[in-house]
Amino acid sequence: MTSGTSSVHRATTHRPDPGLVALGEVRTGLLQHSAAIPHQLAERILQLVPGERVRLSQRPIAHALSPELMAGVDCRLAAASGTHIDGTGTVLTRASITGGTVVQASARAVVGPARADHRLPWSHYMARPGMIETRGKIEVDDLAAGFIGQPTSSSALDLSALSRRMMDVIQGSSQLDHAPRMRTKRTRLRWTARTVTAEQPHGLVEFAIEDDVLRTLQLRTKIDRIAMVASLCENLALHDWLLSTLLELIEREQRGAPHAPQAVLRLRPAIDSLLHLWMPAAHIDESLHPVWEALERRAGFTRQWEQLRDRIRDQVTLSAVTLMSVVTEGSASE
Amino acid sequence: MIILSTSDKGGTGRSVTSCNLAYRRALQGSDVAYLDFDFGSPTAGAILSVSGAERGTTSGAGLHHYLQDRVAEPEQIDVWSASEREGLRGRPMGAGRLVLVPGDQGGGEFPVGTEMVDRCIQLFLSMEAEFELVLVDLSAGRSQAADLILSATAARQLQAITVRWLVFHRWTRQHIIAASGLVFGERGLIEAGTERGHDRADLENSIRFVRTAVLDLSSPEMAGLRPPQAAWLQSCNRELQELATKTKLGRTTMLGSIPLDPVLQWREQLISDNDVVFSQIANPQTSQAYEDLAKRLVHDEAWMSL
Ligand SMILES: Nc1ncnc2c1ncn2[C@@H]1O[C@H](COP(=O)(O)OP(=O)(O)O)[C@@H](O)[C@H]1O
Ligand SMILES: [Mg+2]
Repeated sequence: MTSGTSSVHRATTHRPDPGLVALGEVRTGLLQHSAAIPHQLAERILQLVPGERVRLSQRPIAHALSPELMAGVDCRLAAASGTHIDGTGTVLTRASITGGTVVQASARAVVGPARADHRLPWSHYMARPGMIETRGKIEVDDLAAGFIGQPTSSSALDLSALSRRMMDVIQGSSQLDHAPRMRTKRTRLRWTARTVTAEQPHGLVEFAIEDDVLRTLQLRTKIDRIAMVASLCENLALHDWLLSTLLELIEREQRGAPHAPQAVLRLRPAIDSLLHLWMPAAHIDESLHPVWEALERRAGFTRQWEQLRDRIRDQVTLSAVTLMSVVTEGSASE
Repeated sequence: MIILSTSDKGGTGRSVTSCNLAYRRALQGSDVAYLDFDFGSPTAGAILSVSGAERGTTSGAGLHHYLQDRVAEPEQIDVWSASEREGLRGRPMGAGRLVLVPGDQGGGEFPVGTEMVDRCIQLFLSMEAEFELVLVDLSAGRSQAADLILSATAARQLQAITVRWLVFHRWTRQHIIAASGLVFGERGLIEAGTERGHDRADLENSIRFVRTAVLDLSSPEMAGLRPPQAAWLQSCNRELQELATKTKLGRTTMLGSIPLDPVLQWREQLISDNDVVFSQIANPQTSQAYEDLAKRLVHDEAWMSL
């Protein structure tokens, strides 16, 4: 865990109120570079705060995580019921690069009721990174549902804007050559995690594919896990992106000439750069593995991935054979 | 690849031709995004028959608001699923994506600051990362939009991206002179671009002209003309050709010429193959001209150094 999130953890443990909800958005996209970048370059690109360390890990897969940025917010929160709820506090944003290839930008905050009924000096909020305090009572389900259904152009707390900006900063880095090997979509995962008591059921509530770029995830978690949920959501978003991207690449290749062997061979760079990134629940706290497993049961991520991977490999082998025979027949008839 | 559509005057056929090119390119299998940067008159929604966005979007998340930092993300409309025209609904076999990024209704021009240039750069980077062809319809003349684009495309981060300009003009004396002025004039695009850090020769090489609504003198409809009329038109055409050559709008810098079409004279729309083959309301020469021009957009030979 990073320094930022552990502060969130501290802030929540000294006030064990179960009525909290974490809100977040993760964006995932292909790094705009012609090849996978080495660790040192990832480190330089993610050095968003001078002096603060970029966290690097090599196993089970290369992963670089930026320091957390904190932004002050004082705004309305979207509630499904339309109730007017104001909140003050801070939002955390961060970015990561996985396998030197995939960028993620995420923004998140934990929302809970304030003790005081008036706005406190900023020092109070600054000491609680990633916490937003609401004035008046809140209904966590109402807030979670409001956030999930929030339209893009809304004046309420806009984590989408923050994650987009972070993504743009990383992708716009002058250290990148902006000549990626393939064209891909960026996806967004909007997630919520509301706290429940130890006796209540926790884990996955719902995962939904809203459109071709937006996914939503709703979780219930015990309060001591809330700080770790963000990593889980980022990991999930990464795998969802891998799956969507591979599907998209296959669709695009087949669009031109459905069975042309060359078309399939063009998938090669994609296969090479993406296939080895599949590493479910890497860097995720073990206590959250059951959530992954529940998702697996419902959405069948790994099953889909394996099917796709096998299909591509078969096609590539088949095409290589076809091409070979075309070449040999050609030379034989001369 | 980013294609920037501009013209010196309004009403040249820039938007209608650009929409048809985007449509053709998508049919040819590319993923295409159409960005409506004509802030004063965002008509792409109407041409593509996307309801709710006929004169720009009302969602508040159009390009205009995006550039002004009022929304984080511009709206994207999937034309294959949002178009009201029956023949356009549903992505045809083999076609790529066709996405409209609309302007805002009631937008208008606005001052351009450095932050806006940055947002424009980021927009282009994210669009280019996703689409093979990004077609940008600008306002007429040396507009704010044109200045914004000239600044953005000079940025270092965009140097790996192929950027090309199309300048639309009608086939008349005044339009030829105006289009030439827009590009080569004292306050023209090349001058303005060079001031903003573009290499003069590279920029000049990335600009081509497109003639719109041109009367085809060899077409069968012309057979009904009286001999003096035909002779007059022929000599006019020759004069225009000479003028075009003199003002650097001749054969070498011309990328394509779209014939005058009766359908487009009456209505701003896409010309589908249906319109040509089944209902036969549009001329086959028009759809063929769009088809050819759409291919030349991405054909490097047509864009070799002059
Ligand atoms: N090839 C064509 N033949 C006839 N009319 C055309 C042709 N292309 C465009 N037009 C018409 O010219 C008018 C102006 O076109 P438009 O694309 O709106 O121009 P601009 O975007 O340059 O202002 C429209 O009514 C349009 O239908
Ligand atoms: Mg127009």
